[in-house]
Amino acid sequence: MPPFNSQIIRNFVSPGFGTEIIYSLVIIVCSLMIYFGTKELYELSSHKGIKYFRQAFLFFAIAYFFRSFIKFILVYFSVNRILDISPRIFAPLLSQVTLLLFMYFSSMAIFYLLYSVMWKKWNGSSKKIYLFHLLAFIISASIILSRNALIYLGVNILLFIIVLFVVYTSYQNTKKKPKGHKHNLYVIYLLLSFFLILNIIDILIPEFLQIFQLFIYIASIIIFLMMLYKVLKKTGPS
Amino acid sequence: MAKRNKLEIIKDILTIIHSNHNSIKSTPLLRQSNISTARFKDYFNELIEKKFIKEINNKNNKSISLTDKGFKFLEKYRTIISFIDEFEL
Repeated sequence: MPPFNSQIIRNFVSPGFGTEIIYSLVIIVCSLMIYFGTKELYELSSHKGIKYFRQAFLFFAIAYFFRSFIKFILVYFSVNRILDISPRIFAPLLSQVTLLLFMYFSSMAIFYLLYSVMWKKWNGSSKKIYLFHLLAFIISASIILSRNALIYLGVNILLFIIVLFVVYTSYQNTKKKPKGHKHNLYVIYLLLSFFLILNIIDILIPEFLQIFQLFIYIASIIIFLMMLYKVLKKTGPS
Repeated sequence: MAKRNKLEIIKDILTIIHSNHNSIKSTPLLRQSNISTARFKDYFNELIEKKFIKEINNKNNKSISLTDKGFKFLEKYRTIISFIDEFEL
């Protein structure tokens, strides 16, 4: 462990780390409000779509918790990238496990969100979700094992292509519905997934998106607040 | 008439009980529910299990009533449907 010197204290009290904490906290609170705000609707209906929708936001909350924990590790060890931590100290194990969990929960949050809109079209079989768990684990393991920026980018682009494909298929099905049906939800789902993927890239390759970091944070918060507003509008204050 | 989904059937069964002063025997409930006997049994067992309805023994008669959770379901039904529709679930 590094000595507890003034540099570490400076890192923790710097505006950057404060922004990170506030950012993660806002998203975690929004996600948990959505999760607990829909609890009663799920308990009454036992509807699978509501179940997967809630799971998505629970996983978003967990993913952002691990994201802020990774940022904490980076500040504590004064490094830019999580894989830059010296292999001679205990920290690599902690950072690798945290990164694995962050990648797994992030991927699953996206998959649950997609599954919540697609489960009916996929014959309502809940077994497909196990395939997504496996895929999320493969994605996480490949990130941990590869230690290569190009592979990080490739995996995240693949994740986004899956999102695009599912959202587009679902959008096509919705277009067949009667006129007046809203399509703006797919834009929100797409943006939600897109900004989570940007957040993942921000953790894996910090220098890649450094100049857009503030924009990513603000956009992510706006999207989560929009989602929370839509949920609260429908579920009411209870 | 369009095929009813599970939530609609549950709502219809609970509404029938409610509109009969919260007390109805199983035979008229089955008839008014407009589903087969086999499906009715499944729904009936599920509603008992989820504590949406309860059976009350009055001397030799058995009647079915809504529980608080059953009333809550009817109260929140529109919200549930509107939520599912809004989020394409």
